[in-house]
Parts: sequence; C-alpha cells; structure tokens
Amino acid sequence: MSRKYLDIFCCEAQERLASLQSGLLVLERHPGRKELLEELLRDAHTLKGSARMVSLDHISAITHSMEEQLKEMEEGSRSIDAAGIDLLLKGSDAVALITSAISKGETPALDLERFLDEYSKAAGVSPPSPPSPPDSSDSSDSSDQSDQPEQPSETVRAEVKTLDALVNLIGEMIINKKRLEVKLSRLREIAARSDQETAALLFEFRRQLEEDVLCQDYLIQELHEKALALRMLPLKSITDGFQRLVRDLCQKLGKEATLVMTGGAIEMDRVLLEGLKPMLIHLLSNAVCHGLESPAERRAAGKEPRGTVWLTARHEGNWVVVEVRDDGRGMDPARIRKTAVRQGLIGEREAEELRDEEALYLTLRQGFSTAETVTDVAGRGVGMDVVKKNVERVEGNLTLTSEPGRYLEVSLQLPLTLSVLEALTVESGGETFVVPINYLQEIVKVHESEITTTGDGETIKLRGATVPFFSLGALMGLAQPVAGDGSRCTAVVLRHCDQRMACAVDAQLGTSVVVVKGLGKQFRSVDFVFGATILGDGNPALILNVPDLFAAGGAESRQISRRGRQAVAPSRARVLVVDDSATTRAMERNILIGNGYQVETAVSGEDALEKTAAAEGFDLILTDLEMPGIDGFQLTRLLRASERYRDTPIVVVSSLAGDADKQQALEAGAQAYIVKGAFDQTAFLDTVRTLLS
Amino acid sequence: MALEDEAYDISAILSQMREEYWQGLAEEEPAPKELLECLVFTLAGASYAFETRHACEVIRIPKLARVPAVPSLITGIFNLRGEIAAAMDIRPLLGLPQPPIGAAGRILVVKAKSFATGIVAEAASGVQGLCLENFQAELGEAGRPFLKGQFLHQDGAIMLIDMEALLASPEIMAGV
Repeated sequence: MSRKYLDIFCCEAQERLASLQSGLLVLERHPGRKELLEELLRDAHTLKGSARMVSLDHISAITHSMEEQLKEMEEGSRSIDAAGIDLLLKGSDAVALITSAISKGETPALDLERFLDEYSKAAGVSPPSPPSPPDSSDSSDSSDQSDQPEQPSETVRAEVKTLDALVNLIGEMIINKKRLEVKLSRLREIAARSDQETAALLFEFRRQLEEDVLCQDYLIQELHEKALALRMLPLKSITDGFQRLVRDLCQKLGKEATLVMTGGAIEMDRVLLEGLKPMLIHLLSNAVCHGLESPAERRAAGKEPRGTVWLTARHEGNWVVVEVRDDGRGMDPARIRKTAVRQGLIGEREAEELRDEEALYLTLRQGFSTAETVTDVAGRGVGMDVVKKNVERVEGNLTLTSEPGRYLEVSLQLPLTLSVLEALTVESGGETFVVPINYLQEIVKVHESEITTTGDGETIKLRGATVPFFSLGALMGLAQPVAGDGSRCTAVVLRHCDQRMACAVDAQLGTSVVVVKGLGKQFRSVDFVFGATILGDGNPALILNVPDLFAAGGAESRQISRRGRQAVAPSRARVLVVDDSATTRAMERNILIGNGYQVETAVSGEDALEKTAAAEGFDLILTDLEMPGIDGFQLTRLLRASERYRDTPIVVVSSLAGDADKQQALEAGAQAYIVKGAFDQTAFLDTVRTLLS
Repeated sequence: MALEDEAYDISAILSQMREEYWQGLAEEEPAPKELLECLVFTLAGASYAFETRHACEVIRIPKLARVPAVPSLITGIFNLRGEIAAAMDIRPLLGLPQPPIGAAGRILVVKAKSFATGIVAEAASGVQGLCLENFQAELGEAGRPFLKGQFLHQDGAIMLIDMEALLASPEIMAGV
C-alpha cells in the first residue's frame, strides 16, 4: 500500500477517533440521547470502510465489532452503560494505537490477533471474514455516496511547512520595512544638509515616500495577520481527550468530577498548542489527583460530593490566558513551607519569611512534591516545575492562586503566536538586546545615591519596595565597560511570577514588534537567550529569556552587582583549568572570567605541571580525570606531593560519575568533585567560591 | 555575392565546427595532475584550506552580536541573509594563537549537516586547485586535531583542515 494513502488514512482516522471518543463520553452521560448513536455509527462505519480501502484488516475488524455493538445499542438489545461504553472506548483506543504506529512506520505494540480475539469475545460479536469480497455494507456505502451530489469544496489542504514558509517570508518583509524606515530618517538628514532648493525637493520626495512606506506597512500587517491566522487552530483541537482523561482518572481513584471546558474556540498558533497539550494534561491530572478530595471527604467538608474542574481560555490583549481550576482542597501555605523545608529546598528561616502567596510558588521548584503516596499519574517529583519551564520556554507566565479548602487556580498566560513579539530594545555594553514586553514592569532613571549596597548585592527602592539591582551585561556574564559618569542610569524593571528585578542598561530604544528567529541548530538551549531578531539596520540582536535572568540573579546570590568589576575585585584569584576538551576549558574559563577570576588553561596533565611550576602560582586548580598521559588522579597526587601546592584547593570536574572514581579522586587529594553531565554553573561557582574563601 | 557563397558554405562550416569540438574534447583528456579544489585562507598568519564542497560563500565580517553563556569559540551571531548563523574562531581548536582580525578579515560560510556556520579567518585568498602530488597526510595518533595534512609548496605549506570532522565535532556546539 502506498505511503501516501496510509498517511491520508491516518489523518482521517485521527479525526474520526476524536469524534468517536467525545461522542461516546457524551453518550455515557446522556444514555437517553439515542440520536448520538447515529453519528457514532457513521464514524465507526466510515473508519471501517477506509481501513478496508488500505487493507488494514485489523482496524476494519475492530471497527466492524464496534459498529455491531452500536447497532445493538440502537436496537435496544445492548444496554448503554459504563461497561458498554468502556468496551467501545477500548476499541477506539486500539485503533488509535495501531494508527499512530502506522503513521510513525512502526509495528504497533499490541498482539493484534489476541486483542481481536478477546475483543470480539467480550463484545459477543462474531468477527467478519476479513478477505471476503465486498460485503453488503460496502456496497451500500458506495451507493450512499453516489446519491449525494458532489459538493464544491470550500477549503484546501495546505502543508504546514508551506504555511510556516509563508509566515517566515512575511517576517522578512517586516524586517525590510524597518530598513526602509531607517533609510527615511537618513533621507531627512541628507535633506537638512542640502542647499535650500534641493532640500525642498527632497523633503517633498521624502514625505511621499513616507506615505508609500506607511501604506506598505499597513498591507504587510494585514498580510501578516492573515498568514498567522492560517497557522491558528482552536484550543478545542487539543482538548478532545480531556473528558476521557478526567473520567478515567476519577474511576481509578474513586473520585467524582465534572470537567467544564469553556473557550474551546479560542485560537492559538499550532506550534504553541502542541506544547500546551502536555501541560494541560499534567494540570488536569494534578487537579483530579491532588486537588479534588474523595466524595466522602467532600461531604464531610460540606461540599458537593462531585467535584468540578474548570478549563477555561480567554483573550487578554495579545495573550491567551488558560486557567485550570478545581474546587478541591486548595494549597495550604503552611504545609507547603514544611514540605519544602523537609525536602531541603529552602531553609527554615527563609520559609518563615515567605508570604503565603509566595509560599505557593515553592511548588514550582524542581524536586517539590506534596503527594504523600506516589501515584501512577502524578506526584513523581517531576511536575509543576516542568510546566513552569515549558511556559517560560514560550515566553509565558504562570500564576497560582488558592484558598485552602476551597480552590486552586493555575493560570497560564501565553502568547498568541511565537513568530513575532512585542519587545523593548535596550543597549548594554555595546550590544543590543530585546526584552519581551510582557516581562517589563517599567523603565526608571536611577541616581547613584539611590543605590543601596547590602551584604549580598545592590538594591534600589521602588515605591517603598526593595528591588535587587544588577547590570544587564554583567548578569549574563558578558564582560563590559562601566557606563559613562555613572551618576544617573536607566534601569528596566522586570517582573516574573512574583519577583521583581531592576537591570541597568546604557540606553532604551523604545518598543516595537520584532520577528522571532531561532539561533539555528548549532545552538541547543542557550542560557539567557530565547531567540534572535534582525534590527532595522540589518544587524542581529538577541531576544532575552527573562526567567533565566531571574535565575541568574537569584542563584548568583547577587554576587554580580551593577559594576561587576567592583564587586568581584577582592577575588582576583588565579585559577588553572586543566582539561583535554576545548569545550570544557572554554566553558569553565568563561564562567570564571565572567565572575572576575584570572584563568589559565592547560590542555594536559603535563602542561598543567609546567604551568604550575611558573613563578606566578595558582590559588585553585580545576582538573579533568581522563586525560592522555598524566591523568587527573596522578596530577592531583603530584601536586599534593609538592611543597607549593600541598594546600591549594583542587576540584575535579569529570564525566566519570561512579562512586569509586569520586572516592579515588578524594583519596588522591581533591577537595571537591563535580560531575560534568550534571554540570551546573551555580554549583560550580559556589564550590569555587567556598574553597577560595 | 560573397554573402551567397557563405550561405552555401553553411554545411562546411558546421562540419568544421564539429571537427573542432571533437578535437577540443580530445585535448582535455590527458589530465596531467590530480587537483583538489580548495578554499585557501589565513589563520594565525599561516595558510589553511578546506575542500570547496563544504564552502557556501565568503563574506566580509558583519556586525557580530555576542551571545552569553556559550563556549568562547563562538564569537557571535550574524545575519546570514535573513537567517541567524554563528561565527566561530576555530584557531584555539587548532591550537593556534589568535592575532587580531583586521580589515582583510572574512567569514567563510560552511554548511554542516543541519546548519550553516561561519568561520572567522584573517584573510581569504580564494579557490585554488591544490596538487595532490604535494600532499602529505597527517600521521595517525600523533596527528594534530582537525587536520588532514598539508600541501607542500615552494612558498610554504597549506594545511588542509578536516572540515567534516570539525563540523561534526561536539566542541563547536553551544548550549545543552
């Protein structure tokens, strides 16, 4: 069978299965609505017919059985109850499984013969004889079709790739328009410098050109909107399975719940929707497993025994807000504080200082889980932190609100599309950066005298609140000159979840809509960077990932101040980095230099011995273990044996993660051991700092 | 009259052209030396080359935007006709010093499997056919990284970079 037809079949099957599933779930709740059966029968029948066309006998056999079951329900010889619906769902699940395997070109992970056998037995329907000549149902099918006059099609199918290319091309037009705008202002300068007569002509010419550019701008905007709309899909397209999910979870956990979905018609970029689905599944599972109480508990608390979970979506400006809310037990800040302290996420004092609203956000930290029993679906320790990360990946925001015993609401603020975003352009250290506007609270002028230096960094007062203060460039580890006279500087105040921070920049260049471009495959996920855009002058600028800035600001325990140079001045410690991998050398070197250390590198154990013998010694040595020639173990032992480096801290940074290697390295005389796979810049710097202090 | 004569002579002219064509083909046959077509450029003052099949284009060095938290090898990103590409200084990878890049500096755009990337060079001297007779391969284990060998000429050696290995190397990747 040709691949092309199989692909078409898979597409069709997905649609039919989604319709079957949601239809069955409605039928379960309203067994009296027999008219629903008609639709279901049609879906099952069409699926059977299509499966035969592409010789997928197993699918046609399963759907045949489903069709028979549905017919019996229609005739009244089979009752419409949970068991009956379950059996039908099981059938549609199996078809979905086979289809998805086919579309990926794999063999389905299901013993088809056995399943078919069992399924027909359970259904009490005799399996059809698959390779038989076209039976009556097929012929009726074809006659059905010939009876209907052919309808002219109002839609066309387009490849997603084509649509994406279209949007990209229009993105190029937007960038080009920006270039024209830059040229227009150049033209004004030229006119100003010309003699009077020419100037008058040029001004007039420029005015007309400006009009043309404006007109083109308008057209491009409209074209862009239209093109984006092509990529938009309704939220409904991903929520089909959610009723089923909630139903199955409830059955498994002995709970009762109604899922109320509103705003299914709201449209979002296809790419975003794909990312949203797993997040919503996670949030809904959480709501049912952890949020909702058992019927007995609810009754005791004076609530309806049947809980409600709401999934709502609505527009808010250029954003879509998707909320998952349940009327369950809510989140208890006291309990969260206790759990977080027990799991070692924060200290006791720190926990006490948190306001109740802030304490909720502890659940977003990696490793947090309140579920006392690890269930099949949630409470595995990967959870809300993953949702948060995914929301951040699309430059969105996540808010938690709860009242203990009453409700929990998780609100995701998401952009409509990822292809353009509204952003503020800033200059810092000779570089241009772009900050997505949704993270921007305000832009302030800060005078030198308004900056307070505390034990762990600099802060400014903002309407009574203390806000940490950083230099944007230094925060990202980009070395940069200290700007101007320094008496007054511009700072952008950023917000994320419940946090605020102020970043000093050299200049802010206003907001505009920028086209988002990826950095290409040479870059995987890069810290601080969401993407890049091309400015009006044709030069690229990075689009910053603001959550990363907050992570760096918090994680560095605010060691990097606005004047990176000043704050780290006392620690001009000399560090030797020994590694045979150029990447590791470069990475460690960059991190250390970015934090004010002096760094030398050595490419081998031999090289390291030579360098340590030089007049200017080192205050700390970082070494790899596996190197050709003198390896890390030996190097450590040799240095320990020398008079000069007997007490110098040595840190092993190795990809060997075994306990035996760690043991051996420590025995050789290393003070700390960092595993490369789990390489974490913060932990790395903390280790270096601790050993040097 | 002369015109008419020529008009009648068309078939003779055609046969002469055919003759010349075949002769032309015959002349090309004895290819004297095996040449490797390479892009030749300068790194740390010395001549380096890689096969032209890896090369896309050579451009002047545009404005590079620095990227935080990536290996120092990546000096920045630039606008490659609407797409974003990285510019790499591969000299440290080859164990070379890094003299400053001047006005003659160029970016050699090369195509890896899934991305295009730029290699910063002090100068580019263009495409040359390098004679394989003069080629001396790098010796096994003792070989320098990312070098295939060198072409020996009267006016100095041209080092041949193993661009395939370089582009597939994890050391040029950024991020996790």
